[in-house]
Amino acid sequence: MKSSASDLPTSAYVPERRSPPVAAPPGYWRIAWQSTRGNACSLLIERRGVAVSAGLGVALVCACILYLSLGSMALAPSAVLPALFGRGEMISVFTVQELRLPRLVAACLTGGAFALAGVLMQTLARNRLATPGIIGIDNGATAFAVASVVGMGVSLAPPAMALAGAATAAALTFGLVAGGGTQGYRFIVAGIGVGAVFGAVTQLILARVAIDTANAAYPWTVGSLNARPGDAVGLLAVGLGVGVIAAFVLARPLSLMRFKDATAYGLGVNVKARRFQVLMLSVVLTALAVAVAGPVGMVGLIGPEIARSLASSRQVPLVASLLSGALVMVLADLAGRTLLAPIEIPVGIVTAVIGGPWLLWILMRPQRSHA
Amino acid sequence: MPLSVGNQRTQITLLLTALVAVSLVSLLIGAGSVGPLRALAVLGGSQDSDASFVVWQLRAPRTLIGIIVGMALGVAGALLQAVSRNPLAEPGLLGVSAGAAFAVALTLVMGASAATMRISVAQLGALLGCICVLSVTRVRGLGSDPVRLVLAGAAFSGLLGSLTSLMLLFDQRAADEIRFWVIGSLAGRRLDDVVAMLPSMLVAAVAVVFIARPLAALALGERAASGLGHHPGLIRWLVVACVALLVGAATAIAGPIAFVGLVVPFAARALAGPDIRRTLWFCLPIGPLMVLMADIIARVAVAPSELPIGVLTALCGAPVLVAVVRARRLPTL
Repeated sequence: MKSSASDLPTSAYVPERRSPPVAAPPGYWRIAWQSTRGNACSLLIERRGVAVSAGLGVALVCACILYLSLGSMALAPSAVLPALFGRGEMISVFTVQELRLPRLVAACLTGGAFALAGVLMQTLARNRLATPGIIGIDNGATAFAVASVVGMGVSLAPPAMALAGAATAAALTFGLVAGGGTQGYRFIVAGIGVGAVFGAVTQLILARVAIDTANAAYPWTVGSLNARPGDAVGLLAVGLGVGVIAAFVLARPLSLMRFKDATAYGLGVNVKARRFQVLMLSVVLTALAVAVAGPVGMVGLIGPEIARSLASSRQVPLVASLLSGALVMVLADLAGRTLLAPIEIPVGIVTAVIGGPWLLWILMRPQRSHA
Repeated sequence: MPLSVGNQRTQITLLLTALVAVSLVSLLIGAGSVGPLRALAVLGGSQDSDASFVVWQLRAPRTLIGIIVGMALGVAGALLQAVSRNPLAEPGLLGVSAGAAFAVALTLVMGASAATMRISVAQLGALLGCICVLSVTRVRGLGSDPVRLVLAGAAFSGLLGSLTSLMLLFDQRAADEIRFWVIGSLAGRRLDDVVAMLPSMLVAAVAVVFIARPLAALALGERAASGLGHHPGLIRWLVVACVALLVGAATAIAGPIAFVGLVVPFAARALAGPDIRRTLWFCLPIGPLMVLMADIIARVAVAPSELPIGVLTALCGAPVLVAVVRARRLPTL
């Protein structure tokens, strides 16, 4: 009997050769296959997770169609799909393909990246409030990237600077609580302090440059999809693709890392190494998303919250978070574009107005364990 | 534990001397072309009309406002910390300043012109913010955990801040009028503003004199305070009113300036020890010292333009916040 620790049957395991068929546990589908040499392999798929992800995916597609059809020139939803593939009136094709589609893509990518980074950081810190936006990582990325945008004598591109800033902020926050642990509220408040410093640095940079440059950078510092530099979007797409694969590879250790360190060690997770990898992944995703849309950190809180309320607690809801983050971002930007038209509300303000009460609600309800 | 540098009378004298010196520097140094020597000549009685305008019409009111705002925010921070028994309670962090700013933005958007009604509206907003915060501390479990309260306050003020910027999107005129005000600055304030905020400051000062003693008793616990003949509920309401008056007036003039109410009582407690009455005395010179120094740096750091003062107080206050949070044992006051 093979029983090394990493083969424990949480989601996949290799049974003994020619083992009799095993019934799937309740609530799971079991996919099993057997190679010609007789090696059997099986995979357990949680039904509820699949259902939740499918539901969120359908909602996301609906939101996207709505996003493409509404705006200063409203199109019928039935006209959107042909226009997307280049058929129909010239003007609607132009509106959909040239004006709305790039922005929609940016919204989906940034929302997904923020939410994935959020759920990774929460799991890592075992703290439900520890999303990159709250513990100051967004602000760090913004401060550095603004320095690059307004041309303060740095030659690095905004995404690279955002990465440097995010890494600095993460190092500061985690360094400041070294030994104190990341659970509990002190970690969060230390992160808020770090975020306040970087927020002040952003203001400092904006105050030093000419007023026109500062005004141009302003919407981006509160979070907006208006600017979205093209190369940053491409970089984010690549980064998110790689990040999703990495997150799936890390999914199993992640779900074990929700337990105490000792338990996770005992179950075969190299906690230190995995923790560093998860942190890096979260920081990179945040930085790339900030380089596109500015600090819309609330999505990193709301996305995982929605995902967690829908999915079961057996696994870390990675896919569900990704999808609901994109959904929230698309809907928030849609609201920002259309509610007060022709004035456009930056998406960062929309998410803050939604996310603030949500955060307060999380804080005020009777305390439970924060996992 | 009081720091043992001389006795407290010496410490107060030293702080007052420092305050006089910093006020002088604030009159002498600026972002414009009038240098310290010309300003000094004006103070000595020279007839240089340009320089005398700059010193008496621009820098003097600014210095005066800095002193008053510093005192108000420092004392308000100390009061709020005493009544919520929380060393992290700070008007800026807990959303009291944000409430005042939100109220002002609301009236501006609804068509009021600035200045005249700003102070009373800001005080009303601060009062509402204060009541929100303190009723939150009554929620089970939240009042006993200082850090959690700060977190709720941060969420609250973040929400109010984004609502404020949302309203400013509606209205370009209001946005232009308060864009610089909303991040906190002492620039361009006139003597009228000082006169306008004086009455409420005086009322608050008198009230503070009367509640200092019951507040010190309240530090022993509600029961002990009642046993000593005080009324905890009444004291709490008076403190809320005082904080609203002080923070509202300061915010109306200078915009929401965070972290002053955290750093100043922190320093004052380090010097004065646990007694709230002594702490309040120490806040009087330390608050203006911090605000004036931040303002002087804000003037010279990016000359010829200016920095919002809130940037500097955040740069100096956030590390203090982190230090307090990191302390192994978080003292409940």
